[in-house]
Amino acid sequence: MENDQLTELWEMQANDSSIFNPKDIITKAKKQRNSQYISITVMSLTVVVLFIYTFYYAFNHWNTFNLGLTLMITSLTFRIILEFYSLYRKEKQLISMAQKSYFAYLKKYYKARQIINFAVTPICIAVYIFGFYLLLPYFKDYFSKGFYTYILISGIFSLIGVSAIIIKSIIKEKRFLKQLLS
Amino acid sequence: MITEQQFTNIYNLHASKVHRLCLGYASGDNEIAKEWCQEAFIKVWKYRKSFKGKSSIETWIFRIAVNVCLGDLRKTKKNITVNDGLLPNNNNDDDNDDDNDNNESNIKKMYHCIDKLNEQNRALILLELENIPQTTIAETVGIAHGTLRTRLSRIRKSLLKCIKNGK
Repeated sequence: MENDQLTELWEMQANDSSIFNPKDIITKAKKQRNSQYISITVMSLTVVVLFIYTFYYAFNHWNTFNLGLTLMITSLTFRIILEFYSLYRKEKQLISMAQKSYFAYLKKYYKARQIINFAVTPICIAVYIFGFYLLLPYFKDYFSKGFYTYILISGIFSLIGVSAIIIKSIIKEKRFLKQLLS
Repeated sequence: MITEQQFTNIYNLHASKVHRLCLGYASGDNEIAKEWCQEAFIKVWKYRKSFKGKSSIETWIFRIAVNVCLGDLRKTKKNITVNDGLLPNNNNDDDNDDDNDNNESNIKKMYHCIDKLNEQNRALILLELENIPQTTIAETVGIAHGTLRTRLSRIRKSLLKCIKNGK
């Protein structure tokens, strides 16, 4: 087989005519953009409400309920903002870097993600659980026994669910980093 | 800024090349390749304002496509499953049967051998096989033109050897 035959062989493959319609791609891109804007708006509003609540209400009537609530919302908001920022940076690099630089960037990115996964995320989860724990006595006092049990069980299951999703993505990212470094 | 009409023209001009580039990265898996191709063009549209014209639009599109394929977290399949629809058309002529079988087998071997290359060499050869100009390839990957020529000749040799010997 001669050198040029490589190109000939490659070109022998049939072209898949069922690639997308450019109009559909534009529609999908617009949808993605809109959902990003909605997510950012929801996140920003949550942060604003949290700040207003903390500074104008909670500080005047400070108790463990407010502390618990603040810890839960802050840890969650912080982790989500960090995730958005990290994805946004990665996307910016993807569209502007040549393959060589992007490959080097990906190695750095996934190494940094390991720090987030193994240090920042567990701290956020611990803070969130502690916040939830602080709320429980109030729930016990204010709600019926049945509803309290429901909150307790659904809280535990939600945490297990979220942890499973996080662990799955950590494994995926670790495997990819290993692939990049090999 | 790129208008809808310009985007349609750009898409019609480059989509099949980008799709085949993605196919090379996806080891012949057409579903994944189509997904990556779509993702690349979605990014082209979304970030069209960021395109400042420092490089050609072709270079920019191929950079995005290569980076989309590179950054996908899915593990590459070990078994090469080239979709039948992409293999050369079979016809009933007996004389051509052997040729078709041979070509099919060589295309599968080719995917297998491309899969063995490192990330950069894979991008280089896939762009070269699509007859992308070497200056565009050099800019897409981020290496000097002189280095590219030497590298391409080495990759071609090793690919040929791999297809012939299976190693």
